[in-house]
Amino acid sequence: MTAHLTRVKTRLSIHAHRKVRGLLEGEYAALQVGRGIDFNDLREYVRGDDVKDIDWKASARSRMLLVRRYVAERKHTVVLAVSTGRSMAAMNDAQHSKRDLAVFVTGVMGYLAVRHGDLVALVYGDARRQHVRPPDNGELYLERLLGLVHDAISPDAPASDLTAVLDYVARAIRRRAILVVVSDETHVSDELAESLRRLTAQHEVLFLTIGDLDPTITAGAPRRLVDVDVATEVPSWLRGDVRLQEEYAALVAGEESQLRRRLDQLAVVHERVRDTESAIRAVFRVLERHRHARHR
Amino acid sequence: MELIRTTWVTSGTELRWPWLVVLLTLLLVGLLVAWVRTWRRRRPAGAAYVAHTARLRSLPRYRALVQQRQLLGGFGSVAALVACVGGIVLGGRVQETQVIDRDEVARDIMLCLDASGSTAPWNVDVVQELRHIVEELEGERIGLTVWNNAAITKFPLTDDYAFVLDRLDEAEDAFASWSEVYPSEEFDDYTAGTWSEERQYQSSLVADGLVSCVQRFDRLDEDRGRALILATDGEQRGRGVYDLEEAGAYAAEDDVVVHVIANPGEPDTDGDIDGLQAAASVTGGTFAQLGTGGSAEDVVEEIDELEAAKIERPPLVQTLDEPRAGQVLAGIGVALLVLVWALQGLISMAGRRSGR
Repeated sequence: MTAHLTRVKTRLSIHAHRKVRGLLEGEYAALQVGRGIDFNDLREYVRGDDVKDIDWKASARSRMLLVRRYVAERKHTVVLAVSTGRSMAAMNDAQHSKRDLAVFVTGVMGYLAVRHGDLVALVYGDARRQHVRPPDNGELYLERLLGLVHDAISPDAPASDLTAVLDYVARAIRRRAILVVVSDETHVSDELAESLRRLTAQHEVLFLTIGDLDPTITAGAPRRLVDVDVATEVPSWLRGDVRLQEEYAALVAGEESQLRRRLDQLAVVHERVRDTESAIRAVFRVLERHRHARHR
Repeated sequence: MELIRTTWVTSGTELRWPWLVVLLTLLLVGLLVAWVRTWRRRRPAGAAYVAHTARLRSLPRYRALVQQRQLLGGFGSVAALVACVGGIVLGGRVQETQVIDRDEVARDIMLCLDASGSTAPWNVDVVQELRHIVEELEGERIGLTVWNNAAITKFPLTDDYAFVLDRLDEAEDAFASWSEVYPSEEFDDYTAGTWSEERQYQSSLVADGLVSCVQRFDRLDEDRGRALILATDGEQRGRGVYDLEEAGAYAAEDDVVVHVIANPGEPDTDGDIDGLQAAASVTGGTFAQLGTGGSAEDVVEEIDELEAAKIERPPLVQTLDEPRAGQVLAGIGVALLVLVWALQGLISMAGRRSGR
C-alpha cells in the first residue's frame, strides 16, 4: 500500500545524508511565503535559512548559529502537476524508467511538504483527460496520489500534453500554491510558455524535467527499442551510426538550451532529473535556486 | 563410319510438376503476408520504450539513412524474390521434349540376287537401278548376297557407299557378260561358290536363298528397318531345306520386309509366282512381275516404289530436365542478395567508424 512513499523515504535515508535532509527541509521551509509571527523554538542554522531569522543573541549565548522558528500562519498548499502521457512510460537518458523517476521526484517533493505539515494536491493528465485531487495532508494521502500517477502512466495512455495539464491547473487550483511541475518536455512551446506565464503570476512554480533515451546509441542501451508514440520498433540500423548520433546529440543539446533559456525568461526555476540519486540533489538545487531568485 | 542423324528437334517445353509451382507460389505469398502482418504489429518482448523520437526523423542524416535503407531494401527484396522464383521454377522441373525422326535413317537394304543364268540380264537392270538409289542414300546400310543352290555374301551390310558402288560395278559387269551359250569367265568367277556340286540336281533354290539373305541381317537387337530385294525368276529345280511359305514366315519373324521383283526367266518354264507373291505379302513387301518383254523401266519403277515405301516408325521422344533457367534465376537472386548484404554491412560499418 505504501510502496511508493516507502521507496522515497528509504532513498532519502540511505542516499541523503542526515545533513542533506536537514538542508532539504531548510530549503523547503525557506520556500514558505508567509512566515507566522508566533515564535516556536530555536534550532541550529542550516544552509538555506534566511539570515533574517538568525537569533543573534541566542547565537552569541550558545556559541552556535541559531535561527528562530515560527509556527506558520496557515498551512500551505503544494500542487504536484505531473504530465502522465505515454511518453512518460519510456526510458530516460540514464536508462531508468521515466515513470519510476516521475513518481519518485513527485514523492520527494510531496514528502517534504507532508513532513512540513502542508497540504498536497495533485493534478495529472495527458492530451485527452486531466484530473485533480484536492489538497489534503498525510502520508497515506500522498501515497494514494503517487499510486494515481504511477497507474496513469502506461504505454497505452494518450499522448503527453503538459500545456493541457497546466491549463487545467489554472482552472482547478484557485488558491495560491507552490506548483511543482514534473514533465518530460523537450522544449518550451509558445503555448506552454503562455500557460507558465499565467501560472507564475499566481503560484510559485518549480519545474522538473526528465530526459529521454537516445535511440541512436548502442553501448549499454537495451537491445530492442519500441517507439512509444507509434508502437513500432525503432529500426536497429539507426543505432550506432556516428553521424546520426552527432546530429541527434546536437539537436538534443539545442532543445535543452532553448528550454533553459525560455524558462529563465519566465523566471521559472527548473532542473533536470536523471536518476533517483540525482533526483534528491536536483530537488535541493531547485529549492535553493528558487529561494535565491525570490530574494534577489 | 555410320552416319546416324543425332540432332534432336525440340518440340516443346513444359513443367513436370505444375502443381508444385502453384503450391510453392501460394506458400511464398502466404509466408510474405504472415511475415508482413507480424512485422507490422510486433512489439518485441523485452524491448524498452523510447519517447520523443519524432525529432530524430527531422535530422538530415536520418533521411539519408532511410533513403539508403529503402534502396538497399528494395534491391534485397527483388533479389530475394528472384531467388524464390528461381527456386520455384527449379521445383517445378522444367522439361524439354525432344523428338528425333527416325524415318529412313536406320534402314538396312539387302540385295538378294538369283545368280542362276536365267536371271542374269534382269539383274543388270536391278543392279544399275540400285546404284542410283545408293547415290542418294544417307545413313542406310546396304548389302549384296547372291545365291543359286548356295548363297554367298558379296558384301555385307555397310554404309561405305564408295565401296558399295565399286561392288555394284563389279556385279553389273559380271551379269552383263553372261551369255547363254558360253558362260563367261567373269560370270563364273563372280558366282563361284553359289553352285554346290553336292546338290547338282538342285538349282535356283529360291526359299533357301531368301532365308540365307534374311540371315545376313545383323544387329537384330536394334530397332532398324530391314528391307530385302529379292530378284528371281522363281524357277526352282529340286527341293531345298525351306519351301517359300516357310521362308516368308522366317523373314516375317525377323521383321524383314521382302520386296520381290520377279522376272520371266526362261521362256519355257514357269516359276512359282504365287509362292513369291505370298512371301512378299506375308512380310508386308511389294511384289512386281516384270513383263515377258522385260523392260528395264519396270525394274526402275519397282525399285523407285520400294524407295518410296518409307519405313514408317514412331519418332523417338525423350524428355530432358532443363534446370538451366531456374539455376540461373536462383543464382542471380542469391548473388544479388549476398551483394546487398555485403554492401549493407560495409555501409553500416563505415557509419560506425566515420566519427572515430
